[in-house]
Amino acid sequence: MSDQQIIADRATTSAAKQSEAAESRKSLLDDPRVLGWGSVALVLAVWEVGAIATGVNALYLPRPTQIVVALFNMFYTGGLLTDLLVTLYRIFAGFGIALVVGTLLGVWIATSARVRAVADMWIAALYPLPKVTLIPLLIIWLGTGGPFMLTISALGAIFPILINTVLGVRQCDPGLVLAARDLGATQRQIIRRVLIPSAIPSIFAGMRLGLGVSIILVVAAEMVVGKLGLGARLYLAGQILETEQVFAVLIVLAALGITVTKIQDAIDVWLGRWRIA
Amino acid sequence: MAASSVAIEFKDVGLTFPTSSGEPVVALSDANCRFEPGKVTAIIGPSGCGKSTLLQIARGFLEPTRGSLHFADRAQGDKTTSRPAMSTVWQAFNLFPWLTVIENVAFGLEVRGVSRMEREAQARKAIAAVDLAGFENKYPRQLSGGMRQRVGIARALVMKPDILLLDEPFGALDAQTRLVLQEQLAKLVEDSGMTAILVTHSIEEAILLADTIIVMSSRPGRVVAEIPVELPRPRGVATTHEPGYSQLFDRIYGLLRDEVMRAIVTESDAS
Repeated sequence: MSDQQIIADRATTSAAKQSEAAESRKSLLDDPRVLGWGSVALVLAVWEVGAIATGVNALYLPRPTQIVVALFNMFYTGGLLTDLLVTLYRIFAGFGIALVVGTLLGVWIATSARVRAVADMWIAALYPLPKVTLIPLLIIWLGTGGPFMLTISALGAIFPILINTVLGVRQCDPGLVLAARDLGATQRQIIRRVLIPSAIPSIFAGMRLGLGVSIILVVAAEMVVGKLGLGARLYLAGQILETEQVFAVLIVLAALGITVTKIQDAIDVWLGRWRIA
Repeated sequence: MAASSVAIEFKDVGLTFPTSSGEPVVALSDANCRFEPGKVTAIIGPSGCGKSTLLQIARGFLEPTRGSLHFADRAQGDKTTSRPAMSTVWQAFNLFPWLTVIENVAFGLEVRGVSRMEREAQARKAIAAVDLAGFENKYPRQLSGGMRQRVGIARALVMKPDILLLDEPFGALDAQTRLVLQEQLAKLVEDSGMTAILVTHSIEEAILLADTIIVMSSRPGRVVAEIPVELPRPRGVATTHEPGYSQLFDRIYGLLRDEVMRAIVTESDAS
């Protein structure tokens, strides 16, 4: 090895070391988890310090530490867990109904031109309608109890699920249907073994959207009529100016959102294992 | 494979599609040809000549609008019989991406109602026959194009069809992979004595695999010639050095060149 080459090599090694250190700092800043949680921590710290420094009235803006205390109290003595469970039950029971009805109806619509002609009309009429506007009518018909809550939750989820199911089934590669037919599959088997599996990513995208709408509608309905549930709790706390409790409920709702999103992400990865080479 | 004794005879078979523009498209006109049991018949012709249409009519997926086809049992004095069992190997593979290799291969047996143990045993055997043992639990996306088509071949063979339909099976593969798979398929065909219909663009492929080559004209597709291939088997890449190969190649090429030219001219007229 020539001298020149050695010198050149040394230069590259030291440069590499320097860039390595810079690299690790940069990679820390590129890590989405660090960035995400870091931003939350930063905002909370600024909030806490700012609230103390400005002496803002806790009635308008309680400090994060006060909210955390209120949250613990509500869970341990205030029965917030019951409210959470009631709300979760309403959301997921309604969503479950929407999932079963929506996918079955969606497959039916996608596989029959006649049914599609009828359904197109109704979907066009009902899908853009904001579902909160149905709350008064549903209360007249169903009262304010369980059936009302399940209906409003199911109504929120069913359209995104149904529409995505139709889309997914109709986008199935015709070559796969032909191959299944060639292998002796009946029309029923083609639906169950080819059309539905190929539509699953699309159905799941619909479930994602639908569950979001279900959460919104159930909480909104609880705010209007509920005695139990997170929405009712939120509304009552606001009326008696318990601002810490309002924030505490909002935190629970945000945590619910994060959990649901992460679970859906995990299911997406699991379902998509055949899509990742 | 249980050798079938059923031949398919096309008599003046034609297919015309109505189109939305009002001008009907003639996909196939007056096709007269036979597919003999225990033989490999290749269909070759320019793009859009109705090769695949002919295959789909044989399979029963398309109904001819003119003429008829007969299924004649050669073992019983050409008695007319029902459509023999057929399985297709597709140009686009058409594997189910959400199923593993073994699940893909076992699909046809499953819908037929074969028990899990039995169908997995048969699928494993078919997978081994196309040299894919060890890849049973991979998904199609994890395989190369050549491997995917071998899964496609295994999926068709496991059904033990009377007639194997090959619809441009290697059209989507690169030249080297195609060469290797052609040789493997030639061996599989020779060993089993199976009946097969091969639709292809490639003269080499047709000569390598077929006992008879049907040359088709450009649209509307008609049968121009039926050429027997009498080169000795087993065939492989070395077959290209056999005496008679180049004459055969040139003869088919000569027929095709005119038809391809005509297809190009008609296409540019139409556009």
